[in-house]
Amino acid sequence: MTNTSTIRFQFTKGSEVRFLSHLDVLRAFERAVRRAGLPMAYSEGFSPRPIVSYSFPLPVGALSEAEYADYRLVEDWDPAFFLEHFNRYLPPGFQVVQAERLPEGSPALMSEINAALWKVTLPGVSPEDVEGRWQSLKAQDSFVVERQTKRGNRQVNLRPLLFGLPRIAQLEGAVEVHCLAAVGSEGNLRLEELGLLLGFNPAEAVITRLGQFKKVGSVYQAPLGNRGFTWTEQ
Amino acid sequence: MDKRLLPLLPLVSKPARYTNNEVNAVHKEWTEDKVKMVLAFPDVYDVGMGHLGFKILYAIINGRSDALAERAYAPWVDMQQLMSERGIPLTALESGRSLADFDLVGFTLQHELSYTNILKMLDLAGIPRRSRERREGDPLVLAGGPCAFNVEPLADFLDFVVLGEGEEVIHEVLDVAKAGKQRGVGRREILRELARLRGVYVPGFYRAVYAQGKFQGLEALEPNLPTTIEKRVAPDLGALPFPEEFVVPYTEVIHDRVMVEILRGCTRGCRFCQAGMIYRPVRERDPEQLKEQVAKLVKSTGYDEISLSSLSSGDYTQIRPLVKELIATYQGCGVSVSLPSLRLDSFAVELAEEIQKARKTGLTFAPEAGTQRLRDVINKNVSDQDLKEVVQAAFQAGWHRIKLYFMIGLPTETEQDLDGIADLAKQVLAWGRQYRTSRKRPEVTVSVASFVPKPHTPFQWRGQDPLEVLQGKQEYLMERLRHPGIQFSLHKVEHSFLEAVFSRGDRRLGAVLERAVDLGCQFDSWDDQLRFESWLQAFRDEGLDPKEYAQRCLEPGDPLPWDHLSPGVDTKFLVQEWQRAQQAVPTPDCRWDRCSLCGVCFNLKVANKLTEVGRGD
Repeated sequence: MTNTSTIRFQFTKGSEVRFLSHLDVLRAFERAVRRAGLPMAYSEGFSPRPIVSYSFPLPVGALSEAEYADYRLVEDWDPAFFLEHFNRYLPPGFQVVQAERLPEGSPALMSEINAALWKVTLPGVSPEDVEGRWQSLKAQDSFVVERQTKRGNRQVNLRPLLFGLPRIAQLEGAVEVHCLAAVGSEGNLRLEELGLLLGFNPAEAVITRLGQFKKVGSVYQAPLGNRGFTWTEQ
Repeated sequence: MDKRLLPLLPLVSKPARYTNNEVNAVHKEWTEDKVKMVLAFPDVYDVGMGHLGFKILYAIINGRSDALAERAYAPWVDMQQLMSERGIPLTALESGRSLADFDLVGFTLQHELSYTNILKMLDLAGIPRRSRERREGDPLVLAGGPCAFNVEPLADFLDFVVLGEGEEVIHEVLDVAKAGKQRGVGRREILRELARLRGVYVPGFYRAVYAQGKFQGLEALEPNLPTTIEKRVAPDLGALPFPEEFVVPYTEVIHDRVMVEILRGCTRGCRFCQAGMIYRPVRERDPEQLKEQVAKLVKSTGYDEISLSSLSSGDYTQIRPLVKELIATYQGCGVSVSLPSLRLDSFAVELAEEIQKARKTGLTFAPEAGTQRLRDVINKNVSDQDLKEVVQAAFQAGWHRIKLYFMIGLPTETEQDLDGIADLAKQVLAWGRQYRTSRKRPEVTVSVASFVPKPHTPFQWRGQDPLEVLQGKQEYLMERLRHPGIQFSLHKVEHSFLEAVFSRGDRRLGAVLERAVDLGCQFDSWDDQLRFESWLQAFRDEGLDPKEYAQRCLEPGDPLPWDHLSPGVDTKFLVQEWQRAQQAVPTPDCRWDRCSLCGVCFNLKVANKLTEVGRGD
């Protein structure tokens, strides 16, 4: 196949579609692809599927500014055109904000992400509460909870999955906390577990995934664009 | 969406049921000059979103600049509880406004077990249940759909009812509602004008008369009312509008695909089947028009499946070329074609092969009865030979799983007929072993429903078997179908019993319905929600015996609560069919044989409309 290309793009999930499950999101994108007439590459076999991959599932109820996907196309599309064209067909609440052509042989999307930056807006607490909580957590090297999985319950140490709290700020009537935490198959901090660590109920908080990164030491690099940063806990 | 629901969404199952903002949802500006109608489906979003009728009406109403249509569904029990605790009314998805703010609240009556949900939805919206309790400023509550043909159990709750096809009469209804609104006339005056429209029934203008606990007839309470309300029917489907866009849900719903209606009506004449009587005559849509509709819908929705829907899709005269062409056009972009209702004939297997080239999942056939004799009684014109051919063809073509639908409790049924079901299932399995080409072991699933007498069918007079009898028959079958390779699935007899009660019910059941809702009954068609004990209590509390409705055998000539609601089929024809049934004499399909004199074409000035001369089988 000549002229094939892979486009990696970053998209947002807004309040209109906040309560869609990961499967709902995949379905919505699949249908948008068809409406937009994107020239997708299909897998071989009895039931050919478009060759796509998405970043780690966002929990139901969370918003996001940084979801990612790779689409394999059978034509070489200009990423800027892709962004503009696809946005016209996406449902309200989803928006592609960045798109790039991926060089051949680039690592898979999943291997490019192991950390997420979350914004959690907590009603009815003070910055001091959160700060105090974080200080005591920092002193511990383990925070073990029971995690329910499909194969039964197991003990998980949550402490190493929380990388840090770069921001704790007072807003009107709420506190906004930014947390860096593990995401992906190597280690994943669930939102309800983040709630356990920081003492909040995820159903009462507004949670936004601000970014997804590959963390190497204290360097955080996004899978798209040059938006990386270095961060270490003081 | 109503913003007040937002904090509740993290607390309920399937929150995407309540969030709106789907692709192609229509949000019109809420202005005083518009007639506002909410299409209210008396079940959850995931069930209601599959309903084609509402998609059609949504497009028609929103196509008018002087009207708007929105959607509402029954919230699931978890959400209802939270809404009640917080005093949040039932709202429409698009504007988030209470149902009580609309001019018209329109329910669809798809089956009898959804009636409690209608009352529940009115309760949740704060709309008085009973028509006579509603005041100026309250919406007009209407209903349509198949159960409108005996709407009497709901007579107290509905301001008016539309019989038959809605595409044309909806405009007349909106016009009357709009004019009434502009002139500021009262509800009663608007209802009087609505009662003048063909196909519109205003139950409150009639009174039911009973003697010795039996229904005697209806009396008009106003001058110039029709004694019989005849259904609306369009002679040519091609002249009716069809949506170019469907609202595309995010969460999984039933029939989540492009649907086009290839034909309406069925004249096969199965004697238990209400749809086969009330949707006559047969009208096929032009294949060119269908292809255009499909193209527009695939483009506007992005669905990966096209369903050619009708009561019996294999009967469409040009089904073969249509299916072939659609497959050729769409398979390249991963869009498949499906035919939901296939009749049992070898042609069906050829069609299914066309469609399921790669994945031969399963084939479903409905012989309905286990013996040739009983199939002749019900006029299911399928012979033992047909059955053999079709099943062999299916196994030879590579299918390994066959599902068979049967009904028990049919008129004249004997033990032999039940044995026939078991024998047939085993025979199919044996054919499977003999003829299969698939590596997989043949499997047969037998699904058994209980006969429910339906108004306007030749079996309307026949009472349903008592619950214990039906249960006994189920057990009898279960015993005989305990066999490796055969799976057996049953419909709860309690469901079929309540269905029979309300399908043949009269106005007195309104009180029972209300009582049942007060006792917590709703979502009665859901296995895990049916509260049968509460239902029995509701009947006791209102002093009515449900068995009288479901099980009593009536005589032709007895006054029936639905006598005044006409699908155009003559009672004379139904009586004749009832007699032929008892003699096990089949009646051929008038599409390919002589006219069966059902009366529809003569009464309603319509005729069967096929796109090509019949395929002559």
